[in-house]
Amino acid sequence: MDFSRLDEVRRTTTPLQLDAVESFARGTISRREFIRRGVLVGLSMSAITTVIAACGGGATPKPAGSGATGSSGPVKAGGTIKVAVQRPKGLDPIGMQDLASYGVAAQSFEFLCTLSKDATDIAPGLAEKWTPNEDNSVWTFNLRKDVKWQDGKPFTSADVVATMERMVAAGNAGIKGVIEKGSVVATDPTTVTFNLANANGNFPYLVSVFNAQSLITPTDFTTGTTLDKKPNGTGAWKLDSFDVASGAKFSRYDGWWGGKTPLDKTEFVFFDDTAAMVTAYQGGQVDAIVQFDVLTGGPLFTDANFTVVDTPTTNHRQIWMRCDTGAFKDKRVRQAMAFTFDRPTLIQQLFKGKAILGNDHVIAPFYPYFSDTVEQRAQNIDKAKQLLSDAGVTDLKVTLQYGQQFEIADLAVLIQSNAAKAGITVTPAGSDNNQFYGAQWCPPEPADPPCSGAAEFGIVDYGHRPTPDVFLNSALQTKGVWNSSQYSSAEFDAAFIEFQKAVGVDAQKAACAKIEKILNEDVPIGLPYFYNYLSGNSKKFSGVYTSALGQMFLSSAGAV
Amino acid sequence: MARFILRRLLLALITLWLLATIVFIITNVLPTDVGRTILGPFAPAESVAALNERLGTNRPILVRYLESLQGLVTLDFGESFVSGQAVLPQVVGAVGRSALLAGLALVITIPLSILAGLIAALRRDRLVDRAIVLTGVTLSSIPEFVTGTILVVVVGVQLGWLPVLATAPDDAGFLEQLRYLLLPAIAMAIVYFGYIARMTRAGAIDVLQSDYVRTATMKGLTTGQTMRRHVLRNALVPTVAVIAVQIGYLFGGIIAVEKIFNYNGMGATMLFAAKNKDLPMLTAGVIVIGVVYMLATLAADLIIAWMNPRIRLDAERA
Repeated sequence: MDFSRLDEVRRTTTPLQLDAVESFARGTISRREFIRRGVLVGLSMSAITTVIAACGGGATPKPAGSGATGSSGPVKAGGTIKVAVQRPKGLDPIGMQDLASYGVAAQSFEFLCTLSKDATDIAPGLAEKWTPNEDNSVWTFNLRKDVKWQDGKPFTSADVVATMERMVAAGNAGIKGVIEKGSVVATDPTTVTFNLANANGNFPYLVSVFNAQSLITPTDFTTGTTLDKKPNGTGAWKLDSFDVASGAKFSRYDGWWGGKTPLDKTEFVFFDDTAAMVTAYQGGQVDAIVQFDVLTGGPLFTDANFTVVDTPTTNHRQIWMRCDTGAFKDKRVRQAMAFTFDRPTLIQQLFKGKAILGNDHVIAPFYPYFSDTVEQRAQNIDKAKQLLSDAGVTDLKVTLQYGQQFEIADLAVLIQSNAAKAGITVTPAGSDNNQFYGAQWCPPEPADPPCSGAAEFGIVDYGHRPTPDVFLNSALQTKGVWNSSQYSSAEFDAAFIEFQKAVGVDAQKAACAKIEKILNEDVPIGLPYFYNYLSGNSKKFSGVYTSALGQMFLSSAGAV
Repeated sequence: MARFILRRLLLALITLWLLATIVFIITNVLPTDVGRTILGPFAPAESVAALNERLGTNRPILVRYLESLQGLVTLDFGESFVSGQAVLPQVVGAVGRSALLAGLALVITIPLSILAGLIAALRRDRLVDRAIVLTGVTLSSIPEFVTGTILVVVVGVQLGWLPVLATAPDDAGFLEQLRYLLLPAIAMAIVYFGYIARMTRAGAIDVLQSDYVRTATMKGLTTGQTMRRHVLRNALVPTVAVIAVQIGYLFGGIIAVEKIFNYNGMGATMLFAAKNKDLPMLTAGVIVIGVVYMLATLAADLIIAWMNPRIRLDAERA
């Protein structure tokens, strides 16, 4: 280790940055994780490389949450790429809810923190640099100076403030409770200060590609303005046409701050199902697929001309059990249910192995603060029976509610057959998604506490989040807005606050150890797996990279 | 004849009003929180309430009904709840695409199936007849989504002869567009071939047994002359009526075919609207399909009246 070079960096860092440096120097975090945290806490790239060099490198584990295909190597100039994507519901940057809209809107609009080109983490986007104060409660973002909107106007801090105000007004789930009306201040035309309601060490993620609605839109946007009504943006691609029936077309924005893109044009073709996307690729009519699932995408895995990007994510299902009433009120019954899950088989049958084991808590194993102190739960029918008998429960009969989408109907059937081994009768009850969310998962009434009208047992889907905050505060915290299990634990709430306030990896890890232990013990939710995000493109193109939220970045893509 | 058409048009207007009213009742009786549907299950209640206010879904039902009728008259169906785009251009675009696909399917099916039906009738109970009838029944009993899938896999993917998606690039000429539509049109034609051929065959057999055809044959006309002058006009009356009904159906969208070939005709548009509770889109779609249906039946009635003067005279007397 080269201490003199390390000290050079140490002298110029803030406490939070120093913690990242020390954690890496001690070997507590990997190189990739150090880069991730370094960028997050605003260390400059030169400081990061100096530290890595001084420490003599480090292990590079597989990235999580995003993927890149063949990003190295030269590409030809010119041409068009055709991308298959689900039909978007509408390009309102603040109001959009579906991955397809995220992907299309993110072609023209950009984030303060974008996805890094190796697709492993966030990287400077419209913000060149960001720095927190000592306790993570105030974050200062320095914006790029050379950015112009596609309509020719200069991009300034006023645009960022206006966007944040709209997000606050719309109740954006990522920033709710983190920033409030008036919290975001334009210090000067290229500096924005975020005064957070509470300390938050993961704040840059909330204004990044991983909070899909945080795309920066111009000051003249109002709630409900869509990209197709007012085509504009700071991004590499200018929207030429948008037709919800067929697709969206973009051409290069010559004034983009990132330089000239290799491709001239991009085209997004809209589909209603994955099978048609796969056939369209096979028939040579599309070059890339933003997302597909294991079952319908089967032929792509064996296609020698197609690169599949298979990335671990925090996408998961929560099998909630009401803790306050009904059959699952006794935690031993909830534990018994969790002991019936045959997790490896679920992963094999539902995802052909393209998922990782869950341990009934929301801290995914690739989060840097994941603690491996809690033993992995495996199927144990005898134990399940014992727990039921200890709880005095015989002949347990429960109805399992779910919305009909993705693999969830199959999961319900597998849960049924697993549970039957322990003598539990599960009756799966599928319904239309809207019906499911509105009547089973979180009925609007009774509103206090939220979700108190939820069914006693059900399966709900959660998408990828770069940090577990949303899972923790919305689904599990007492009175959380999506707390369908009506879980309420003072111990858990305290551990969550400890996690949010934690400064530095060690402190976060310690808080997560508590969170994992509490959730694994109390089992308000069963969480059998985190499944991988699948996307890919024809080998005729390279430089394509994709986030697990459906944003495919094409600014460096080109034909090979 | 003018009176006949006028009467029919007047009737069509009344039907249209009834249709609009029924659609309004159905879409407003459905217990749907429009704001919640648009913003999704995760949006806060305040935003949902604000959106409902903006869309006016919480106003008195009579006001909304009158507005919907006004929209019908002025052809303004409002904006889509889902995409925020004006509804009418989208529906018109979808109908146009459906019309092109249905048109191509009909251009392939009608001549082939009528010819086959006539040949079968002329060769009644012989091998050719049996072959045509059997092929027709077999083909009609295979659903479109099966024939469509087979066509995609074999002709599109394996042989690579025709595109597997039905939507042609924007700069494609008319012929190129037809090339893109050929596979789905064939999938649809395969189903309708048997149906129309059997209808034609039954009609032709009836007419071939009639006295006037026997007279025509006995006075020395060739088979061709008899067919042209006496058989066709009479034998095709039921076939035209069937085709008219099918046109309405085809315009309404063959959802399975549209799905397989990723074609955004009326079927896919309406399904998307229904799934997302996009009421303005659904309303406009149903009305437009209704209009197409009425026009198709009116056209069929006129063709039938032209082919068979007795029907025309009956109508005028009535």
